[in-house]
Amino acid sequence: MVHTTNNKRSCQSGERVVLRLFTALVLCSLTASAQSTIHRADGNAALNIRATHLLGFEGAKNNSNGTLSLQDGSLQFQRNGKPGAQVKVGSVRDVILGEESRQVGGLPMTLGKAAIPYSGGRVVSLVAHKKYDTLTLQYVDDDGAVHGAIFQLHKGEAGVVKAALTAQSMSVGSRQGEATKDSSGEVSYENK
Amino acid sequence: MKTSKYSLLTACVTTILAIVVVLPVRAATVKPSAANETPSTHWSLQVHQVDSGNVDLAYSFQIAIYENLVEEVNKTRRFQQVFRDGDHGVSEVPNLLVLKTTVEQYTPGSETRRAVTTVTGATKLTVRSALLTRDGRVVVERTVHGDVHFFGSNLRATHNLARNIAKAIKKTPLPDSATSTALAANKVEPSTK
Repeated sequence: MVHTTNNKRSCQSGERVVLRLFTALVLCSLTASAQSTIHRADGNAALNIRATHLLGFEGAKNNSNGTLSLQDGSLQFQRNGKPGAQVKVGSVRDVILGEESRQVGGLPMTLGKAAIPYSGGRVVSLVAHKKYDTLTLQYVDDDGAVHGAIFQLHKGEAGVVKAALTAQSMSVGSRQGEATKDSSGEVSYENK
Repeated sequence: MKTSKYSLLTACVTTILAIVVVLPVRAATVKPSAANETPSTHWSLQVHQVDSGNVDLAYSFQIAIYENLVEEVNKTRRFQQVFRDGDHGVSEVPNLLVLKTTVEQYTPGSETRRAVTTVTGATKLTVRSALLTRDGRVVVERTVHGDVHFFGSNLRATHNLARNIAKAIKKTPLPDSATSTALAANKVEPSTK
């Protein structure tokens, strides 16, 4: 009888540990976004923002986290502070903002949810999702070939990047206009 | 009792680590052998941007399909060169095929609904994929589907779709380049699937 009670207690404590672990995992995933910051070096010129590169940006790995920066007329995606892929703002044709809801935690969280007994993972899934902004770019390379890139940013940050891109493209456009007296090479921006 | 729990936990952690570590290593070791393969035809391919047709498809999906298509078609090693839409280099290429994709159907899904219910919330894409010669003759045209039912984000449907299109292209017998030139010169009726 005593032995059975001990077994019950150890099972309950095990369940508590698992529950605490998953609570910690969910909280970590949700609070990680708070660490993202927007740095503007001066007024409207430079911008550094945390982003996840989903696909398409030349030279950047898919689904990688890094910093999307906008400086000196070029958009750059850096991983771990290393110099990364970059695209001239003048070659960007379209910037489209979107919104998507995704499950947080990635593969470890998915495996963890699958391990929770009595389909408890489904309940966790109900709360473990988050809305993100998506930033879709269309740009052309030197050969005129069309490229597309999709970035995932924290809510509200894609608009900031778009505004910065518009500001920079205007300044780049006006500089080019001064040099060539030609205003036909503007960049079109649309919002969906 | 405690020892058995610890051993079970250790076994679980080892399994997860094995899945996370070994699978990417295996994928990385497979890649170089595929890269060493030589293209099996004299054709080059230009991938055109996705036409959304009458379907209300998010622009990010169109871009994702296009980018995934370029990547997946490159992986097939079927073509000498794979060009993107708008590339000026295609004018110098003698044997060029064009891949056009038109969206026919799109069912938006939800990752959360998939995670909670398993059976609902699937994202589904159906496209009409056509492989044409430079002068507009249809080599092959077929309907291809791309879905995401269980794991992964909604954009994963575009990856699955592109992979299915690439698979279909890989299975398609391409016309002989000399025959194609003769066909074009004689204005013979195109062979459509």
